[in-house]
Amino acid sequence: MKGRFNVLYFNIGAVVVGLIISASMLLFMQINPLSVGGEAIRKIFTDHYTTGEIFVKATPLIFTSLAFAFTYKANLYNIGAQGQFYAGSIAAIALSLWLGDVLPTVLVILVVLAGSAAAGAAVGGLIGLAKAKFHANEFLVSMMSTYVVKALMDYLLRTGLQETKAEYLQTDAISKNAYLPNIVSGTRIHLGFVLAIVTAVLIWVLLYKTPLGFRIRAVGYNHNAAELGGIRTGRIFTVAFLIAGGLAGMAGLTEINGVQHMLLQDFNASIGSFGIGIAILANGNPIGCIFASILFGFLNVMGTTMGRLPGLSIPASIIDLIEGIVMICVIMSYFLRGYVQSSMEKKRMKKAGA
Amino acid sequence: MMSTPLFLGALAEVFAERTGMMVCAIEGVFLIGAWGGFIGAYITGSLFVGLLIAMACGMAMAAVYGVITVYMKQHQVVTGTALNILAAGICAFFQRVLFGIPTSPLQITTLPKIAIPLLSKIPFLGPIFFNQNILTYLAYVLIPISIFVLFKTSLGLTLRSTGENPEAVDVAGINVNRVRFLAVLFAGAVSGLAGSFYTVGYLGMFTTSIIGGRGWIAFAICFLGNWNPKGVVLGTLAFGLADAIAIYIQAVSGSTIFPNELIIALPYILTILLTIFRKNFNVPAKLGVPYAKES
Repeated sequence: MKGRFNVLYFNIGAVVVGLIISASMLLFMQINPLSVGGEAIRKIFTDHYTTGEIFVKATPLIFTSLAFAFTYKANLYNIGAQGQFYAGSIAAIALSLWLGDVLPTVLVILVVLAGSAAAGAAVGGLIGLAKAKFHANEFLVSMMSTYVVKALMDYLLRTGLQETKAEYLQTDAISKNAYLPNIVSGTRIHLGFVLAIVTAVLIWVLLYKTPLGFRIRAVGYNHNAAELGGIRTGRIFTVAFLIAGGLAGMAGLTEINGVQHMLLQDFNASIGSFGIGIAILANGNPIGCIFASILFGFLNVMGTTMGRLPGLSIPASIIDLIEGIVMICVIMSYFLRGYVQSSMEKKRMKKAGA
Repeated sequence: MMSTPLFLGALAEVFAERTGMMVCAIEGVFLIGAWGGFIGAYITGSLFVGLLIAMACGMAMAAVYGVITVYMKQHQVVTGTALNILAAGICAFFQRVLFGIPTSPLQITTLPKIAIPLLSKIPFLGPIFFNQNILTYLAYVLIPISIFVLFKTSLGLTLRSTGENPEAVDVAGINVNRVRFLAVLFAGAVSGLAGSFYTVGYLGMFTTSIIGGRGWIAFAICFLGNWNPKGVVLGTLAFGLADAIAIYIQAVSGSTIFPNELIIALPYILTILLTIFRKNFNVPAKLGVPYAKES
């Protein structure tokens, strides 16, 4: 897909078209999208705290989009990133509450990182195993698993992990000692953002520069051929889901130890589905996931900022509207690209024939 | 009976999936149906118009889904996810555009309950099954009709073959994509109606969290019910029963240590186990696969 039909151009075009359509939605409220948008953007970039929020919001999205993108490369659909993230969050909060004051910060973070990744990977691995051993529909199993993990989380929030006051369905705040260190003062940007970028790069290396990555992509391309080529597809299914689950689980660390410092009911309830959208926007490319996540983080902050502009009462739900429209435009752009590509091909064939 | 929309949604899903189309936008279709039903009924004052608008909204959403997945051949899961997010955005945004921030929640009267003479007098079961609103009765009527249409008519044969062997259907001179698109539209209308149950039929008001994953439950019931209307009835009862028991236990025992959530999670676990272990699983062969005619 090199050359003039590079995915990137089509994607950028689609995002721009999507933004224009969403902006025109503001006309329904008799609001001038240009002036409001301009004002919101000025607000975002003059206030460092708000600028930082873009990256804070992008951090977990990088993980959940990687969780989808990774299995996507093996032609598997992991739509259970939300549940894997919850599993990671449960592990992160439990470990942070337990070890928060006992160990030095570095060790706490490392233990929580390992724990949350392991918890996510356990959920993901079970899905992969179901796919590998029983040919279960991974799409359905991963979706259902989210509800099961959520039920478990609700149970724990009501019992074992509930705050000492036992008033709300939330945990106690974790010790300051277990916080992910802030890396830019005046904002909430924390070490998790760096971790997310490093992880995305590592996943890229894993997918494109290692034998395992090659096998995963081979299975995704044509799993029958891969099987004949001596790749044990069942094992690849399991490994792919194991890693994807671990990735989503790590978002538990960044959100619990980096942002929220406690676990709440319905915690970050939509990062799983946004992750899918981002992964698609990035065409499953791990590096692309970073930029697409930052874009979504920006849209997110843009929506809240517009909602806070005085006297306009723009609902914060405009985020969903914008992101939905952008995603639809991106999906359509893939069709358009295929269409343009094949018609160019036909023209070339005709020329060659004549 | 709160299971009515689950049943209607799952049934709609059965029809679409039998033709090879997963309607992954079902959560969004439920939501937009709920919203459409609400504004329709609120603005015109007629519940019937509300239901019609709910169906129209559901169909519109399904049409977008159908164009993208059937004709543009893009992936169904991905398109569905995008549309679900979009639906949430549309409903919340236009709710605000139309009504601003109301000081008190907007209310509509809900569908009246109709007691069937004699049958509703049956002790215990009577009030549960035969003192319901019109949508529930519609669901009852649809059970035998859907079984008949799907398994005893040539239309049903076409639908089922489209999901199993689209090439053969194509050879028989039937337009595969059109069958699939129409099935999706039908599913959209029925799911939109199902969504409107929550506003028009039950709560009388609209919030953006009104569906809260119930569209996905309908989606799961379709799998659980083995793509068969009869199975869907059983699956709906399983989910409905689990829900009722969980609420009952919570009410009786207060908030104790009993893992109420386990019962809520049970139908999901059951669905997972069934997908894993059932041998004669009836999944349509071409589920989720776009049909590309050889050129």
